[in-house]
Amino acid sequence: MNQHNEKNMVIRKMLFVTKFEELGFGALQSLLPLRKSALEHVIFMNVIERDRVAMQRGVGYKKSEERKLREQANIRFIDWAENLFEQGMEVGAYIVVGNLVPQVIDAAEKENADLVVIGRRSRKMMEVFYSGADITELLSRIERPVLVYKNRLDTGSILEKPFKKPLLAIDWSPASMRAVEYLKNLKDVIHKINVVHVASSKELKGTSNFDIQQLRKEKREKLDKICEVFLANGIEAKSHVYVGDTIEEIERAAGERKSTMIVMGSSGKSTWVERWIGSTPRYIAEKSPYPALIIPYGGDH
Amino acid sequence: MGKRVLVVDDDPDVRLFSQTVLEENGYIPVLATNGEEGEEAVKKEKPDLIILDVLMPRESGIRLYRRLKTNKKFKDIPIIMLSGIAEKSFLRSQKVLTEFGGDPVPEPEAYLEKPVDGDILADTIKKVLG
Repeated sequence: MNQHNEKNMVIRKMLFVTKFEELGFGALQSLLPLRKSALEHVIFMNVIERDRVAMQRGVGYKKSEERKLREQANIRFIDWAENLFEQGMEVGAYIVVGNLVPQVIDAAEKENADLVVIGRRSRKMMEVFYSGADITELLSRIERPVLVYKNRLDTGSILEKPFKKPLLAIDWSPASMRAVEYLKNLKDVIHKINVVHVASSKELKGTSNFDIQQLRKEKREKLDKICEVFLANGIEAKSHVYVGDTIEEIERAAGERKSTMIVMGSSGKSTWVERWIGSTPRYIAEKSPYPALIIPYGGDH
Repeated sequence: MGKRVLVVDDDPDVRLFSQTVLEENGYIPVLATNGEEGEEAVKKEKPDLIILDVLMPRESGIRLYRRLKTNKKFKDIPIIMLSGIAEKSFLRSQKVLTEFGGDPVPEPEAYLEKPVDGDILADTIKKVLG
């Protein structure tokens, strides 16, 4: 990210990666409230998988298939772009043939995107459009925030406002503290943030009731300091301490707080602390029914 | 010596098509693949005419158009918009950007929606360049 965007951690430019089936115009529209914050530029991206047009014995490279797929994507993007241009937004588009992850990372870097949005249908759906492996690879290689967009659990329909009520899962890692910086500038979009920390059962073993209460109090006080950051930026925030299995408790908290998405830090680098080393954000992104916004630490930034 | 015409389009097929039409009609084509490259080429090549796409990576033709038409050095270079984006959407976007506090910009010298016939493109270029 450039110096300016990194310093201020705002979402000016969004890379919207779509195969159309899982992320349509409705999903795009649900993210347009980000305009009230700083969003001014949307880049559409469609990656045509190489397998679909690759060389085959007796057929050769399927140039006409590539042309057809490009044209189909182009027609959709033109329709979406007209709508956004008419609202005074800046729009760009990439239609490329290749492997999803390197193409997305390349476009995100070229465009200096502040947010990458990629779709994944909920578990209830028959088809998963981007495989878990693609999403995991993307999250482990990209140094930019990624929103893994998912439709509503109950109806499979589009969430109206995914940023309205996020659940921020905190593990005190540099990446999760960066998530605080990222969210605190979204006061015009976020209605309320629930900030949660999950203490593991291991931390409680062999301790008395007093110790458990003391642990909870300490964690709560630390979370309250984070809530104060949000409150100072005009965002209502509430802290919660849960105890147990990290993934289960995060999902439980999201359900109990009627959260619209789960936000957490992630990093493949050595900045990980405690037990969330890779597996929790990966699970939440890949398998949780909630949309997941994963914020990397940002490498050397 | 033929006049220099800058083509700004991310689609290689459109660049090749435009290049062919321009060369067949005695113009000198200069090619750029997005708004940023296009602006550099305007500064460097000082074209007599620009053929500009709208939807492109890095920077759209809408922003480049505004910058050129509000720059006293470049505002008189005629521009033919050549895009899949409808003309009314282009004009509406310019109106909205002006309402947001930007400088008003004139309409382009011509607007052609893709796909365009080679003869129509050649006639339009001839007409715009006088």
